[in-house]
Amino acid sequence: MKLSDSTIWTPEERAIIEQDTMLARHRLEEQYANLEQQHETAALGMWVFLATEVMFFGALFVGLGAYIYLHHEAFEKASEKLNWIIGGVNTVVLLVSSLMMVLAVHAAKAGKQRGLFLFLVLTALLGICFLCLKGLEYYTDWRDNLIPGWRFDEQEWIDRAHLTPNQVPQVKLFLMFYWTMTGLHALHVTLGIGAVLAMAVLARRGHFSPVYYSPVDVTALYWHFVDTVWIFLLPMLYLIGTHTAADLHF
Amino acid sequence: MAERVISSLSYMVVCIILVLMTFVTVSVSFIHLLQFWHIAFGLIIGLTKASLVVLFFMHALISDRVTRIVIAVSCFWLGLLVILTLCDYLSRNAMPFMPGH
Repeated sequence: MKLSDSTIWTPEERAIIEQDTMLARHRLEEQYANLEQQHETAALGMWVFLATEVMFFGALFVGLGAYIYLHHEAFEKASEKLNWIIGGVNTVVLLVSSLMMVLAVHAAKAGKQRGLFLFLVLTALLGICFLCLKGLEYYTDWRDNLIPGWRFDEQEWIDRAHLTPNQVPQVKLFLMFYWTMTGLHALHVTLGIGAVLAMAVLARRGHFSPVYYSPVDVTALYWHFVDTVWIFLLPMLYLIGTHTAADLHF
Repeated sequence: MAERVISSLSYMVVCIILVLMTFVTVSVSFIHLLQFWHIAFGLIIGLTKASLVVLFFMHALISDRVTRIVIAVSCFWLGLLVILTLCDYLSRNAMPFMPGH
């Protein structure tokens, strides 16, 4: 970024940047040559962390994929029992929250403090909305006896889903994948909401400027990754088989 | 920080495309398809959606070369994990049982 480059910054933006020079000096850690290098290092660190997260969730997805192949009938029947409506709505909620997050970064770059705060709060609220819907879905799962080891009726799967007794453990396996993967994802969303709210508090205190918004950008990377994981959870958990209108769960 | 920027209008267009693709994914689950085609279709749309998120929302499109290398290497390792694991599981019944060999 070059302050002298008039093709990038409007005069108003340049004025904001010049006013923030002192702020920028205070935010620069001593091991970096400038804020640009500091920002690139922070972003790279988050990308490397996300690479480890890709392997973490990737192993679960591969395991699920292999077992879908091996026990397709039982996994399809179990998948049809999940609440795909809440799963689908939650996908849209997360996608819109990602839009809010990227608009927050956009506002931070432009030095729009109110916009930054507003978009961060909206992101966190949509994250909370996601968790509330997830809680509602977990309640319907509890009501429908979909918790292996706690509330699970083996005979129901044999009588109503027409599975053989040998296939019932396969249903349990699918449900264990479901609880593990959605639970870990919900944990990530919870941590993300905490980080986004922390950014909102800092933004409210005037912590960020067009030359220093690195924490917002790095938090956004994490939030988008959490969104990306859910993009794959929807087809792999909820949409394995063919749905009908009778699958409505409310 | 990155000199190039993506406009807020582009972000909104990408979000609308992502939401529409979600509707397509769910709608296809109501069509009767053979065994694994629901998963295959869902994953193809999922990969497209994830690419849009990474390219636009995560700014991979305007990132520096080091970041792009990290993304490419992540995809490579994930690819190894997926391909080698599935090669094992999907080929277990492909060969007849041969005691002593």
